[in-house]
Amino acid sequence: MTDPVQIDLVVNGQPRSAAAEPRRLLADFLRDDLGLTGTHVGCEHGVCGACTVLVDGEPVRSCLMFAVQARGAEVRTIEGLAEGGRLNPVQEALWNSHSFQCGFCTPGFVMQITALLEENPTPGEAEIREALSGNICRCTGYQSIVEGVLRAAGHDVPTAAH
Amino acid sequence: MTDVMPQRYTGARTRRVEDSRILTGTGEYVDDVKLPGLLHAAFVRSPVAHATITRVDLNGAREAPGVVAVYTGEELEARLHHDEEAKGPQFTTLATTKVRVVGDPIVMVIAESRYLAEDACDLIEVDYDELPPVATFDDARNPEIPPIFEGRSNVRELPRATFGDVEGVFARADRVVRAHLDVHRHQNVPMEGQAMLADYDAASGRLTLHASTQGVHAVRNTISGALGLDRSRVHVVAKEIGGSFGLKFGTSREQIAIAAASVDLGRPVKWVEDRTENLTVSGQAREESFDLELAVTDEGDVLGLKVDMILDQGAYPGMGAMVPSIMQGVIVGPYRMQALDFASTVVTSNKAAYVAYRGPWASETFLRERMLDLAAAELGVDPLELRLRNVAGQSDTMITGRSLRSCTARESLEKIREVVDVADFRRRQEAARAEGRYLGIGIATFIEGAPGPRGDGPLGRERMTATVDTDGTVLVFTGQMPHGQGHQTTFAQVAADQLGVPIEQVRIVVGDSDRVPNSATGGSRAATMAGGATLHVTRKLKDRIRELAAELLEANVDDIEVEGGRVGVRGTPVSALSFAELATAVEEGRAGEGASLEVDLTYDGGEGGWSGGTHCAEVEVDADTGLVHIRRYVVAEDCGELINPAIVEGQIRGGVAQGIGAVLLEKSAYDEHGQFLAASFMDYLLPTTTEVPTIEIHHLETTPLDADVNFRGVGEGGMIVAPPTLVNAIEDALAPFGVKIYEQHLPPKRILELIGAIDPE
Repeated sequence: MTDPVQIDLVVNGQPRSAAAEPRRLLADFLRDDLGLTGTHVGCEHGVCGACTVLVDGEPVRSCLMFAVQARGAEVRTIEGLAEGGRLNPVQEALWNSHSFQCGFCTPGFVMQITALLEENPTPGEAEIREALSGNICRCTGYQSIVEGVLRAAGHDVPTAAH
Repeated sequence: MTDVMPQRYTGARTRRVEDSRILTGTGEYVDDVKLPGLLHAAFVRSPVAHATITRVDLNGAREAPGVVAVYTGEELEARLHHDEEAKGPQFTTLATTKVRVVGDPIVMVIAESRYLAEDACDLIEVDYDELPPVATFDDARNPEIPPIFEGRSNVRELPRATFGDVEGVFARADRVVRAHLDVHRHQNVPMEGQAMLADYDAASGRLTLHASTQGVHAVRNTISGALGLDRSRVHVVAKEIGGSFGLKFGTSREQIAIAAASVDLGRPVKWVEDRTENLTVSGQAREESFDLELAVTDEGDVLGLKVDMILDQGAYPGMGAMVPSIMQGVIVGPYRMQALDFASTVVTSNKAAYVAYRGPWASETFLRERMLDLAAAELGVDPLELRLRNVAGQSDTMITGRSLRSCTARESLEKIREVVDVADFRRRQEAARAEGRYLGIGIATFIEGAPGPRGDGPLGRERMTATVDTDGTVLVFTGQMPHGQGHQTTFAQVAADQLGVPIEQVRIVVGDSDRVPNSATGGSRAATMAGGATLHVTRKLKDRIRELAAELLEANVDDIEVEGGRVGVRGTPVSALSFAELATAVEEGRAGEGASLEVDLTYDGGEGGWSGGTHCAEVEVDADTGLVHIRRYVVAEDCGELINPAIVEGQIRGGVAQGIGAVLLEKSAYDEHGQFLAASFMDYLLPTTTEVPTIEIHHLETTPLDADVNFRGVGEGGMIVAPPTLVNAIEDALAPFGVKIYEQHLPPKRILELIGAIDPE
C-alpha cells in the first residue's frame, strides 16, 4: 500500500478530482470516490465488459485500468448520456427495442455502442455483432441489443408500442 | 368521462418502465448502496476440496490497516442461533474443523474497504490435512473414501417409482433402445453475483438487509432464524437485481455471516461476491448421469421408459436431492407412454452446491428428446414424424398422473413442420456433404408446468394488495421480486387495463418485506400466479373505487363507472372524480369512517394451463475445427395469452442463449482432486453475440382454460429445450461419421474426438 495520489480528470464534461491509492482501479474510483455507480463491475478481469467507459473517446475496461492512469483524461460514463433529463437517441432506441433485462451489463453495452456509433454511424448487423462481441449479457441472447443498435443507426426495425 | 377508448396494454409491446433506470445508470444494485460507516467483508477460503483444518493463524490480521474485525468459524458460530431440532447434514456457517469444497469460507475479515479486507485475508494462514475427495460418481460409491458429513453416507438412493405395467409394456415392445446419457455440470452466472449489505441499527434493534434475491421474505426468514432475531426485527429491501436464474433463491452462508457481523459491530457491512467466488462456490447445477431404456414398436409407437439416474448434489445442501422427483413427474412429457420405471440416486461430493438453475429438472427433456432421436434413427423414421405419431392429445393424461389439458405440443410440432422445410433442408444437407460440409437439423419438444392445469386443488397462493394513493397513483404491492423479467411493466399493463388508466399512473411496488406480501419469483410462476393476482386485485380495487365513489356522490353503485382515470355517475361527467380526488376524500373520511381503498386478494392460479413448445435448429459443424455454427434457430412456443410479446421473446431468447452456452461452451469443470478448473471467464466461457444467432419465434396461443387469466410462464422453456435441440442437430450433422451422441457438452475438442479427428483423452 502506498500513499494516495491526487487524481484530476474530466468526467462527463465536469472537472473532478479525488485522492486515491495508486492501486485503485478506475472502476472503483468512479463508483466509490466520485459516486458514479452507474458503471458496474461484472468480472474484475476484463472479460465481461460491464465496466466499459470511454477514456478520451476509446472504450476501456475500467476494471483493468488504474485510476492514476486516467489523470488528465476525459472520461465518459453512462451517467453522462441523457441530455437534459431525457434519454439520448441511442438510449431511446435501446428502450424501444427492449434491449436489456436485468440491467447489470447495460452500462458497458451502452458505452461500447456509443463508441461504435461515433466511429461508424451506420453499422450493419455483422459489424454490430463484432463490435459487441467483448461484452457479455446473460439475460437477452443479444438479439434485442443488436436490434437496438440497428434502430439507433437508423435501420428499419419494427417499433415497440409506446 | 372521456370519449377516448382507453388503450389496451395487455398484448402490446409496451416499453419497460425499468429501462429509464437501467439505461441511465440510476438503478440501484446492492453494490451501489453507500451508507455512512460502511464496512466491507472478505473471506479466507479453502484452496482444497476436502481436508481437516489443522491450524488457523490470523497472523496479525486483526491489527492490519483498516481492519475492524476478524471472525473465525468458532467466533462467528458463537453469535448464531442454533436449531437443535435441525435435520440434515450439520455444518457451521464458516468452516471450523473441515473444509468440503474449494472456496469453502473459513475466516471473515471486516475492514474499511474491500481492498483492505482482502489484504488482511492474505496474511491469514490455514493448514490442512487433506482427505480423499469425492470428485466423481465412482468416488462417491467408493467405501474407502470417508463421508463428507460425519455419519452420513455419500450415496443416497431415493425411493423407486413405477407407473403403468412396466414389465408388460417392455415385453410387448419390438425393441428396446438403450443408452447411457450424461449431463455436465454448468451454472447460472448472473452478471451480478450474490450480494448483500447488512445494516444493524442498535437503537431500534432492527436489522435492514439490502439484498440481491428472488424473494425478500425468504431472506428475512433465513437470516432472522440464523441470528435468533424475531422476524419483525429484520427488514429486507431489494431494488435492482443483476440477474439470478435460480441462484438467488437461497441465502448464502456468507450473507448470514455478514448479517451477524453487522449486529455484532453495530455498523453496516457489505459483501458482494466477486467473479471468482461466484464461479467457484456460489452454486452450480446439472451434473447427472442416466441409464435409459425406451420400449418401442417397429411401427414407431413409443411404449415406455426406464430411467436409472444419479445426480451429484455437491457438498452443502442445495436443490439437488429434490430434482429427481420433479423429473420423474414430467419425464414422459407430452407423449403417450404407457409405463415409466424411475430409479434415482443422489450423491454428495466435494463440489459446489447444486442450486436451482433455470428449469432445474431440464435434463428430463434432454434425455427424453435425445432418446426419441436415437429411436428414430434405429427405426429409420423422421424424428419429427416419430414425435407427431406419439404426441398425446389434450384429453390425455401422463402415465405419471398429470392431465395434459391445454398442452399444445402437437400444434407446436405442426408449426415447426409448416415453417421449416425439412425436405428442402435434406437436399441442401446432401449437397453440402458432397462438398465436405456437415449440416444438421434437430428438433425437440418440451412442456412446462407453468403452472400446469388445475388438478384437485389450487395451483398456488399469490397474495397481492392494491390501493390508490392521494396523488391518484394506483399502487400494487407484490412479493414477486423481478430480476430482469420486467414485472413492473407487465403487471402495470394488466392493472392499467383493468382500471382504464394510463400505465404511467400505475406503480408496481416490489422488494420491501415490510410492505409487500410474502412470495418470490421463480419456477416460471409469475405470469399466471402474479399476472392473475394483479388482474383480480385491480378488478377488486375497481369495485372498491366504485363503491366509495357511490358513497361520496350519493349515487347507486350500479350507476358508477370508472373510465379514463376518473370515476363518476354515468351520464354526468362533470361530477366525476379523479382518482386523486377520490383517494383524498376517502383519506379525509368523507366516504365514511374506516373506509379504505386498500384491497387484498389471494389468487389460487385459476384453471392454469401448460406452457411448452418445439424448437428447431439447423447447424453446420466444421470438421476441421470442431466449431458448431447455428445457421437457423426456430421456436414455436405456447405460453398462453401474451402480456407483452417483447418481454416474452426476451425470456425465450435469453433461455435459448443459455442452452447454447451449455452445449457449446460452458462447463463447471473439476479435476480428479476436486479442484475447480473454471474460476474465471477465461475458463468458464459464456456465449457472446458471435455464438447466439437470430432466433425466430412463432407464438401459439391455442387453448385458454380460464375465464380471465391465461397468461402462462415462459421463463425456463428456452433453457430446458435448447440443449436437446442442438445436440439432436449436431448428431444429424455428424451422421456421415456414424457418430452417436450420449452427452450434452460438445465444445470443439469434443466434436473432434467424436469424429475421430483427435484421440480422446
